[in-house]
Amino acid sequence: MITKTLFITAIIIISYILAKWQKLSVELSLFISTLAGVLAGALFKTPALSEIPRHLLEGSFTYLDVILVFFSATLFITIIQESGGINFAVRQTVVGFARFRFLALFLLMIIVLIPGALTGAGSVSLLVVGAPVALALKGLGVDEKKIPAILFILAGLAAAAPPINIWAMILCAGTAIPYVGFELPLGLPVLVLGTATILILGRRQGKQSELKEFVDRIETVPGMNWLRLLLPFAVFFALVIAYRLWPFSFPVLGLPLEFIIASVAAYLLSPVKINLVKVASSTVNKLLPLLSIMVIVGMLQQVMAATGVKGLISYSVLIIPLGLLFCLLPVIIPFSEGVLTYGGAAIIGIPLVWYLNSLGYHATILISALSLLWPLGDGLPPTALIGRLSLIVSGYEGSYWSSIKKAWLPWIIITLTAILMIIFSSKLTFLVTG
Amino acid sequence: MKTGLFKFKLIAVVVFVLLIISGGLPLWQHRHYRVEVILGPGVSEVKKLSDFLPAIKGSQADTKVYILRGKEPGGQVLIIGNTHSNEPEGLLSVLIMIENAVVEKGTLYLIPFFNHSGGLNTRPGEGYPLYFSVPTSWGKKTFRMGNRDASPLDQWPDPDVYIHYPEKQMLSYLDIRNTNRTWPGRKNGLPMEQVTYAAMELLRQNKIDLAIDLHGAETMFPVTNCIVAPEKCTRLATLASLTVKSMEGFENHVEPSPVNFRGLSHREIGDYSDTLPFLLEAPMPFLDQPTGPKTEALFLTGQDEFLLSLAKKKKLFVPYDQSGWPLEKRVGQHLSVSLEIIRQFSKKSPERVIIIKNVPRYRELLENGTGYYFHNPAVVDQDKIVID
Repeated sequence: MITKTLFITAIIIISYILAKWQKLSVELSLFISTLAGVLAGALFKTPALSEIPRHLLEGSFTYLDVILVFFSATLFITIIQESGGINFAVRQTVVGFARFRFLALFLLMIIVLIPGALTGAGSVSLLVVGAPVALALKGLGVDEKKIPAILFILAGLAAAAPPINIWAMILCAGTAIPYVGFELPLGLPVLVLGTATILILGRRQGKQSELKEFVDRIETVPGMNWLRLLLPFAVFFALVIAYRLWPFSFPVLGLPLEFIIASVAAYLLSPVKINLVKVASSTVNKLLPLLSIMVIVGMLQQVMAATGVKGLISYSVLIIPLGLLFCLLPVIIPFSEGVLTYGGAAIIGIPLVWYLNSLGYHATILISALSLLWPLGDGLPPTALIGRLSLIVSGYEGSYWSSIKKAWLPWIIITLTAILMIIFSSKLTFLVTG
Repeated sequence: MKTGLFKFKLIAVVVFVLLIISGGLPLWQHRHYRVEVILGPGVSEVKKLSDFLPAIKGSQADTKVYILRGKEPGGQVLIIGNTHSNEPEGLLSVLIMIENAVVEKGTLYLIPFFNHSGGLNTRPGEGYPLYFSVPTSWGKKTFRMGNRDASPLDQWPDPDVYIHYPEKQMLSYLDIRNTNRTWPGRKNGLPMEQVTYAAMELLRQNKIDLAIDLHGAETMFPVTNCIVAPEKCTRLATLASLTVKSMEGFENHVEPSPVNFRGLSHREIGDYSDTLPFLLEAPMPFLDQPTGPKTEALFLTGQDEFLLSLAKKKKLFVPYDQSGWPLEKRVGQHLSVSLEIIRQFSKKSPERVIIIKNVPRYRELLENGTGYYFHNPAVVDQDKIVID
């Protein structure tokens, strides 16, 4: 069985490399390697040839909920953008806070952290506030190349921040550990690491005169004001918070509908007339690569499970000697996220937590530490979900790696923090409350 | 050039439509596949969960409750399977009871498809088979392989976080469709909260003494091969555990039900009613992450090379060898432990005695297999067949 599974794994990897060599897009390359993998599996009847269409179709639904959130959130922010809200916010923030630069950066960091912390998705942070924050950072003189890197790291930390951390919740659900007591083990590192990120990457590049020039260049729409801008955001956050305040009387709307309702508010409050059909189709166009990768990663995950490759990955991690495992975790965990997104938490995370917990490592601290490593993988191929979104929302037109590689120092600091948290987990139990 | 691109797009659309049809049809058939349940000699009445909460009537949340009344009054017990429909050893154990059990004293309530909607669902991304078949002397009896959670077709959208009622503990958003996180349920809640509310009403209205929830668990999960019980049930669980070990030769240790982990049957049933709850976990290698392909054979035999290698490295929480952990062993454990809990309870409460006959135990399952206890629908009276 191991030989067969290794053969299928090799087919998946080789076909991906060949497709990329033929200069096909990441999405197509991944789709081709998925097809090659499932056909190789069919040679051993895992799965049977007749089962292939069902596996592909079923797998494509794995991330349907995430796809709906992406679309509705992007629609919302595009309407805000079309109504002139983003330019207005940037102008006001930059003009108002330019003299208190650290405070401005710190506030922008908190603004990025909040949507992700409330929803557990760094993508929501980027889709809702990424574009205005990127412009504000530009206005504050931050190097254009470093802006996507800042957004990438902060969005990842936002996803890890309490109260909602999807990786931790998947691990808790899978390991039967209650999702309680995570506020400090997650919140404290997120705040410290976020501050370190803005201090490292947020240094001024431009001069004060450039700032004035930048502000003058921003086109504003007459009639846009704070009320028109903030009310749609208030609608969204009110809906998110209302369920938390009155969970047993407030209806469950779900994030996609909450974004759609906020979009309606933004549309009605816009000082300019917006063509909704045009906005919706441009949103789909903008998101198409991202949405297709989510569909294909779901298919790949299904194929890997049906062929045994998923089990092989999980097995390979578990047989690594403990010392070596700690050295490899900074690679394995982000890599699993890059390939499988949240699937990595289930495939590798659950057995890993059981294993390390049985050796005396504290489960809550351990899960919190791993939750800091997974978001880093959202900048790695083939999915590079948050990394790519960071580039999209900041409007950076350079190459992907030229910008994301600027995040190397915060990446290392986050990795070291996480590994130290795991190693000294039993000494950090004072952080666990509740 | 333009014609070439058009042709390519046309071919892509045709391939896409073919994929949807050829891949979608098996999924549609899975959702509409029905299992024939043979009413055994002990079944007195078939009710529905909606009899205890009319709000779920006509929905996929509703499910059948099989009632087996004894000739004499006594204690009462509820046993449920398919709380998680991807752990069907509970379903099979309950079906064996429906088809074979005869109650002499007391009343037995059986719910084979507790999360009915979950049984109609599949598990995207996990590569499960759609069905599994159990061999019998008259052919194969085929069942759907379901999902841990209810289908989004029956309960959607999910909140961005699930807040448990009434304790307000925050849980993963997916758990709002997990009927082992929604106890004790909510009358006006979402369908799966209503399912557990209806079950609580069943327990409260009938003053049921014992509730046993049957599950499967990973071999790498510390809470496996065990009886999970709250404080008030620990003594009974320990007696049952010791008895099956000495009399039938298999391990089944006792795990305490955590006080601060909400929504689980073994916690909330005990806290919100007078019923004594137990949750049984049988080791199910199919659920483990480090396994080979997720096939029907893996589900039936529990044999896996990766797990065998990990067992040699002492990374599993149960003894594991080349024989794996076959279905009949898992079902046999559930049946024996359930019967033993009932027997120990009856010994302790002479005024609430429950006597159940004709249910096979662990050794018999190992000797005869699971399919031996399912009857051929072709040779029984049609009025004894219920489509579930």
